[in-house]
Amino acid sequence: MKTINVKINGENYTREINEDMRLLDFIRDELKLYGTKEGCGEGECGACTVIMDGVTVNSCMVMAFQANNKEILTIEGMEDEKGLHPIQQAFLDEGAVQCGFCIPGMVLSAKALLDKNPKPSRKEIKEGISGNLCRCTGYNKIVDSIEKASQYLEGEDQ
Amino acid sequence: MKKNLEVVGKSVIRVDGFSKVTGKATYSQDLTMDNMLWGKTLRSTKPHANIKLNLTKAEVIPGVVRILTYKDVPHNHHGVVFKDHEVLSSGRVRSIGTPIAFVVAETEKIAVEAMKAIEVEYQELEAVFDPVEAMKEDAPKVHENGNLLYHYKLRLGDVDAAFKECAVIVENQYKTSMVDHAFLQPEAGIAYLEEDMVVVCAATQYPHFDQLEIAEALEVPTEKVKVLNPAVGGAFGGREDITMQIHLALASKLTGRPVKTVYSREESFVAHSKRHPMIMSYKTGADKNGKLIAMEAKIVGDTGAYASWAINVLRKAGVHATGPYEIPNVKVDSYAVYTNNPFAGAMRGFGATQTPIGHEQQMDMLAEKLNMNPLEIRFLNALKKGSKTATGQILEESFPLKECLEVLEKAFKKDAKGVE
Amino acid sequence: MKKRGFGYGCIFYGTGYGNGFPDISRSIAELDTKGHINIYVGATEVGQGAKTILGQIAAEALDVPVEIVTLIHEDTSITPDAGTAAASRQTYNTGNAVKISAEELKKEIIVVAKGLLNEDHLEISNGVIRSNTSDKTLTLKDIAEASGGGFLRKDGIFQANTTEMDPETGQGNPYWPYTINAYAVEVEVDTTTGIVDIIRAACSQDVGRAINPSLVEGQIDGGFAMGLGYAIFEDINLDKGRIKHNRFTNYLIPTALDMPEIEKIIVEDPESTGPFGAKGIGEPVMIAAAPAILNAIYDAVGVRLTEIPVTPEKLLKALKKREG
Repeated sequence: MKTINVKINGENYTREINEDMRLLDFIRDELKLYGTKEGCGEGECGACTVIMDGVTVNSCMVMAFQANNKEILTIEGMEDEKGLHPIQQAFLDEGAVQCGFCIPGMVLSAKALLDKNPKPSRKEIKEGISGNLCRCTGYNKIVDSIEKASQYLEGEDQ
Repeated sequence: MKKNLEVVGKSVIRVDGFSKVTGKATYSQDLTMDNMLWGKTLRSTKPHANIKLNLTKAEVIPGVVRILTYKDVPHNHHGVVFKDHEVLSSGRVRSIGTPIAFVVAETEKIAVEAMKAIEVEYQELEAVFDPVEAMKEDAPKVHENGNLLYHYKLRLGDVDAAFKECAVIVENQYKTSMVDHAFLQPEAGIAYLEEDMVVVCAATQYPHFDQLEIAEALEVPTEKVKVLNPAVGGAFGGREDITMQIHLALASKLTGRPVKTVYSREESFVAHSKRHPMIMSYKTGADKNGKLIAMEAKIVGDTGAYASWAINVLRKAGVHATGPYEIPNVKVDSYAVYTNNPFAGAMRGFGATQTPIGHEQQMDMLAEKLNMNPLEIRFLNALKKGSKTATGQILEESFPLKECLEVLEKAFKKDAKGVE
Repeated sequence: MKKRGFGYGCIFYGTGYGNGFPDISRSIAELDTKGHINIYVGATEVGQGAKTILGQIAAEALDVPVEIVTLIHEDTSITPDAGTAAASRQTYNTGNAVKISAEELKKEIIVVAKGLLNEDHLEISNGVIRSNTSDKTLTLKDIAEASGGGFLRKDGIFQANTTEMDPETGQGNPYWPYTINAYAVEVEVDTTTGIVDIIRAACSQDVGRAINPSLVEGQIDGGFAMGLGYAIFEDINLDKGRIKHNRFTNYLIPTALDMPEIEKIIVEDPESTGPFGAKGIGEPVMIAAAPAILNAIYDAVGVRLTEIPVTPEKLLKALKKREG
């Protein structure tokens, strides 16, 4: 057993965990945050994407103890008191959602991208989400959404 | 009185969108219950074998609650058309991945450990993997009644006479691969009891059919089974055949506790159906103006170890083998054949996705031989409102093929070609 | 060397179970005590948008705002059987059943309203019951309350038109309606690596009538992606019955970087038997993509690939063979 301190969606958690526990299981089974999905268990599909200290990681490939003293954002942390995050709103407005299983990871990859590069080109967007597989949407409306989100965020800043 | 449409035709924002962008949508792996047990499926590792099970070592592992085998299944059959799947194998496995036992334990880890501790003695049988080989008299039989499951025949006019009239003929054999739906959400489900009703919550394309199949297998009245269908993470045909639903229902009924199981991606690949690979021999002929006169196709579809939707899929392949063209002389033979490969079933397009790999390349090859543009030959032969298909069906309305090609051509002018 | 080429593909697709198999959808439309509409159908939302468009169909048939319509489809114990979410049949078949149940409910609402208002010429407009001859109005909540606090419920059932074909000749009317799909693509083939890149694509999609154009477009993008995977990537790669490509590290499906922009053209030619003219599109949107890509590869490099997927290895082998 190991003790970890981790800040998730702005809240501090201290937990005793098994050393072989994955961060994904910590988030889902320990904290009951089920928005983070498991699609492959080997870092190929991106459904379990979370942001750790500003960088996207596949939470199935990170051990929970590696998140000690880190700050993590999951899909549940995207909304605030004003409601949906502009990226989430853009996904809705542009019709980027179908079955939805890839969407939490997509939204977080989009956030990490836009945090670094507020006005990405379509090619940069595609590169930014290339680690997130989607079987339903053919990605185009997701790319549209991230472009739209970029505009929403720019509007917010002004 | 014809009024304007108010809602139809509007891009209303999808009603399940909000829950999906916020991560609140509940998929079946997101469900847990108090006092819940975990299930794991032991699957065959051999394509064709008689098996003997020894549960002794697995049963004594602390935390193992029950190991279900075929002896526990009241009616050990299921299937969308023929009931040729066993819920759990009674002694002969016909493909890799066939469910043999369902281990129920206090935790997922224990269930996995116990599954690995089950000893399976395989007495391997001769297997067949090539559908053309499987059609031969002396091929190993996958099922007792032989490997040819279905033969669809389409006959229109006289192809032999018509081919003699053709100015050009192209003849080719096409092969398509066995592919997976690869929906992003691997199979998962949970079952529990509500008094004497068993409730199964799993991602499915057809909850009422699952209800029927669960009730049949458990030999209980349909109204004693309830199927709940939470958010479904894609399907594409791969969630039509039962996977875990009966295992879960039975496990919950026999233990009296909620039982959950989640497939890994690798298990998902062996658990659900695949797209039928097809071998398609096409012969297509036209007159000197490009008008199609005759087409002959032989299509062999590999359905693997179980029938699933093979009859319907190979029928659909046969009906759509001409492509959307008017051809006065047509002969199609399509066959569904059992092999010891993973079973094939429904997947987006359902047999009509394979045949265009053939007919559309045939069209381009004919066009080239006739020095025609690929669109020109399609316009010339396009089925339209009022046309008769190869099955003799009159297309009474709404068949805008020419319109679709016209707008497509405009949208995609060839002079936009970048590199010459 | 990089070489570009164009290709077309077009298909027809018979929707529904086909061949005379009873293809039935059932729906229940209900006015609840709050004056809201609930539609009960056993149709699965698999991501295709059934839950959204069935609500739109009900709202249109009843002439009520779409926001007051709720689709209830998740529980077999309270929903009628609406068949499987397959065969591109939910929009057409279940859409028709929903429309019929909504129309029946509308008639019932008018009957109740006539009794309340003592007027004969009533209609529903944007969720309000209005008289054609006076300025009297009623809300749906008024109707609900007048119905004794109970629910007004009406059934709808729809059966598709299909006949069994002759077993010897295959003659008959197996499917109805048929949906058309056509793709044009431009590819770039790298003759050194054998890699095929899809540069751009256009799709014309027959829909009968688009219930929700954005959802149709989403289906086209997704269908093209699946067709692209089928044409050049996907194969479970069997070895004596064993799946060798059984994970996303070796079973490759398209990523965002593989997808071109697609010009999407929705072609409307309403089908009189469809709900507001609509037909199913979920499968057709995929089908013509792969053959269009194969024809484009030929146009680019002059070799015919008759076996899919056209992997770099297969393409290089074919190029080499031609050079002989």
